[in-house]
Amino acid sequence: MSTTPISGTTPTPAPAAEMVTVTIDGQTQQFPKGTVLLEACNQMGAGVPFFCYHPGLSSPAVCRQCLVDVKGQPKPVPSCYTPVADKMEVMTKSPRALDVRRQMLEFTLVNHPIDCPICDKAGECMLQKHYFDWDAKLARNDGIKVKKAKVVDVGPRIVLDQERCILCTRCIRVCDEVAKNHQLEMADRGDHEILTTAPGHQLDNPYSLNTVDVCPVGALTSKDFRFAMRAWELYTTPSICPGCATGCNLEVHHSRGKIQRLIPRQNDQVNKHWMCDEGRLTYKRVHPTVGNLEGVPEPSRDGLRAAEPHYAHAPRLAAPMSGGSPVEWDKALDDAGRVLRAALDAGSSSVGVVMSAQSTNEDLYALARLTFDHLGLAEAYLSGLDQGWSDDILVSADKNPNTAGAMAIGAGRLRTLLDLANDLKSGAVTTLLVVGTHGVLGKDGAGALPLDRLQTLVVIGTHRDAVAAAAKVALPLTEWAESDGTFTNRLGMVQRVRAAVPAAGDSLPGWEILSHLARKLGATMEFTEAKAVFAEAKQKLAFMKDADWGRPLLPVQLRFAGSRG
Amino acid sequence: MDTHDGPLVPPQNRRVVLGFKEAEDLDAPDLPTESLPLNMGPSHPAMHGTVRMVLEVEGEKISNVDIQIGYLHRCFEKESESATWTQVFPYTDRLNYISPMLNNVGYALAVEKLMGITGDIPERASYIRVIVGEVSRITDHLTCLGASAMELGAFTVFLYALKAREWLFELLEEVCGARLTSSYLRIGGVSFDLPEGFGPKLLDILGRTRIVMSDIGKLLDRNRIFRDRMDGIGIITKEDALAYGITGPVGRSTGLAYDVRKDHPYLVYDRFDFDVPVGSVGDNFDRYAVRVEEIAQSMRILEQALATIPAGPFMVNNPRVALPPKSETYNSIEAMIAHFKIIMDGVHVPAGEVYSYTEAGNGELGFYLVSDGSGRPWKCRVRPPCLPATAVLTKVLPGLFIADVVPTFGMINMIGGECDR
Repeated sequence: MSTTPISGTTPTPAPAAEMVTVTIDGQTQQFPKGTVLLEACNQMGAGVPFFCYHPGLSSPAVCRQCLVDVKGQPKPVPSCYTPVADKMEVMTKSPRALDVRRQMLEFTLVNHPIDCPICDKAGECMLQKHYFDWDAKLARNDGIKVKKAKVVDVGPRIVLDQERCILCTRCIRVCDEVAKNHQLEMADRGDHEILTTAPGHQLDNPYSLNTVDVCPVGALTSKDFRFAMRAWELYTTPSICPGCATGCNLEVHHSRGKIQRLIPRQNDQVNKHWMCDEGRLTYKRVHPTVGNLEGVPEPSRDGLRAAEPHYAHAPRLAAPMSGGSPVEWDKALDDAGRVLRAALDAGSSSVGVVMSAQSTNEDLYALARLTFDHLGLAEAYLSGLDQGWSDDILVSADKNPNTAGAMAIGAGRLRTLLDLANDLKSGAVTTLLVVGTHGVLGKDGAGALPLDRLQTLVVIGTHRDAVAAAAKVALPLTEWAESDGTFTNRLGMVQRVRAAVPAAGDSLPGWEILSHLARKLGATMEFTEAKAVFAEAKQKLAFMKDADWGRPLLPVQLRFAGSRG
Repeated sequence: MDTHDGPLVPPQNRRVVLGFKEAEDLDAPDLPTESLPLNMGPSHPAMHGTVRMVLEVEGEKISNVDIQIGYLHRCFEKESESATWTQVFPYTDRLNYISPMLNNVGYALAVEKLMGITGDIPERASYIRVIVGEVSRITDHLTCLGASAMELGAFTVFLYALKAREWLFELLEEVCGARLTSSYLRIGGVSFDLPEGFGPKLLDILGRTRIVMSDIGKLLDRNRIFRDRMDGIGIITKEDALAYGITGPVGRSTGLAYDVRKDHPYLVYDRFDFDVPVGSVGDNFDRYAVRVEEIAQSMRILEQALATIPAGPFMVNNPRVALPPKSETYNSIEAMIAHFKIIMDGVHVPAGEVYSYTEAGNGELGFYLVSDGSGRPWKCRVRPPCLPATAVLTKVLPGLFIADVVPTFGMINMIGGECDR
């Protein structure tokens, strides 16, 4: 559990630095020496526009959109490229600064295609925002626009529209500085300048979709999200990526109960501004049919592995199943309670419980209470997805979002799936309760677990996979984006997961199913909301001592949330 | 503990009336009686819109009344919080749906006041707003008069009034494409200019409407049945009108000479010569007479406005408020973006709050708006003018007969769309 360095330049140095006094639009304020002037201006509320600058990347000052007047300077200066200096006097709204910025916008728009109605970025486009905020004048130029390629297949997950590109080079710098892989280039000159990949190469690094996020216009679009949904109609809910142990902070963008895309959310301690492509497609397991891409594309040819498909998108388990047919919740819980009770009465040593490192802390806590406190079992098994590829940027080899939480809640009482396989083969375990089926059977689905040796299998799972099919009773469980809870990442940070979309079918959160099941088994575990489970776990468990549940949030529609830019 | 050791009422005084009654029992002074609760509405032909009155009657006489509003509540105010500022216009059409233009005017003026662009609105737009507003006021009053007369048995009056209203609705349809759901105004002006030949057409309709009004007057003013049910019935005092906050024709019928157009002139009302009619008794007939006179005054305003309306733009010259011309939108990226931002993100209104009020068909229509600086209202509250007038009925109706509810309620002109929002 070490802190992994994340690439990208840091615009604002540590606060211990020497302070300088700067006057911006008549207001005087102290800033740490070396602060980028653009950041300083916008901290003061000047709202200086920019295209090529990004707080997580280096500044080339190519777009000239952030020009401001500095007293004593003969020409307006690009504020993204200028560090603050002592006694600097800055005018962000002088007539000249406003005029040059307006001229830059006019210049940028000369060859911009009239694409807003069909552009995926419309509604969250920085060009739209800046033009409307700072110019809003009608066109003075009715010349013929330079034609460029509209649909360039630059990689497995991205399409480029060269006409829309405003040549800010942010995408190039994301590849260079975040993915550490130079895959994009500028070619040609003047109004014929284009963004392109080198011949025979493609944009396929594992962080390529970050280029779509940082693109200020709709030049780079995600194949998965392309034409799927108008951006301004999406609602946003903050959450955590379930793809690996890093726990990247993200926003779930959803509409009408379906997740449409996942977008990174800034957290300087975890993922800064970025997220891997594999993580962005983890929503597919919640809604196997949403989006354009079938699954995660195959690894790329250059050894830098792109995303690997690590789960089959089986359909969701929508209703409780007993004996292979759908039944009401009451009947399913009765049946599950009866078979488990019978097995426990026959001897609790033959009963096994499988926890999942994919579950939230709350589900794990409820399951641990049931297993160890109420049923009196000494040990449980921990399942999870197999180890996968990793890098020193964001991706962790541990493909489970809550291994740290599961280990802490298990507190030395957890055994591996290998142990479970042996116990099944030897006949030591004849009854099994599985909560969360991701990875129980291994990557290829066949698995080494001889489930057919079991007399009784009760599954609480999200999908109609092979484990659920083998179960005597299968109870539908919500996916991560459908329930509230917390994940503990590899740094030990307890991060909040929020329900963004309604639960699939009749599925319920794990802690709720386990509360009902506990009652059927004669134990009392009366949880009525996830927050109550969290509060109890926080009292009992040392690693959750400083965790915060956060305030309740209503999803905000992006059109009213301001342009993300 | 229970200590009484005998009946409380001496047995010789007790008389129990069972199913069978002797003739003398019915005249007996101590015949047990009780008041009867009687439901009027929510679905009743005389309950305009949907409103429920629970009357407590003793015989034909009303002893108490409980007015239950809210059957037409459709979350207008809450709904507005997830629509852009411009998208609220269609909702305002459905407030007082007999005079939608006046609601459009009230809302547009409120948003413009909050944005501080009231002074930038072109003169022609202000004139157009006055014209369509006054046409709407006439349709509002015609509907109220016609419907009330019909409920008192004068069906002909209803047909005459609605005939004239239809002429005006058809004219408004030429202006904005809809008889009723007009959504004609925009923040900063109106959506289209007046159609060709609008002035002569309106003058012609006004002439014909004058004849209709004269016919209605002949049918009603000296009509025994009508006068008996209007005169001295449902009297609202001036003090009550002030205490309840009643404005509009109902308030003016009590002698309260308050008209927002005169007392706090907005748009270009200060340029026109018109009178504010007031009543002296505050009964149903005064309310009828005030409305009849207001129709005549609205016609005066319309004639003056048509004579003096200037040429020029009908939308404010502000690219962040007014949509660019369609030809520009389709042919330049600049106008395309402007169009997109105004439609999708909404016109941005600076953070702040405002109360703005205008004279609508039923009185002072107020909009209290709060903006957080985004493209949609943070809060949009309406002061419905017919709510106080409906409230005062609990004081006016007791003591009247059941039959008096019909003309009194009709003359209050409670409109569910506006009152319940």
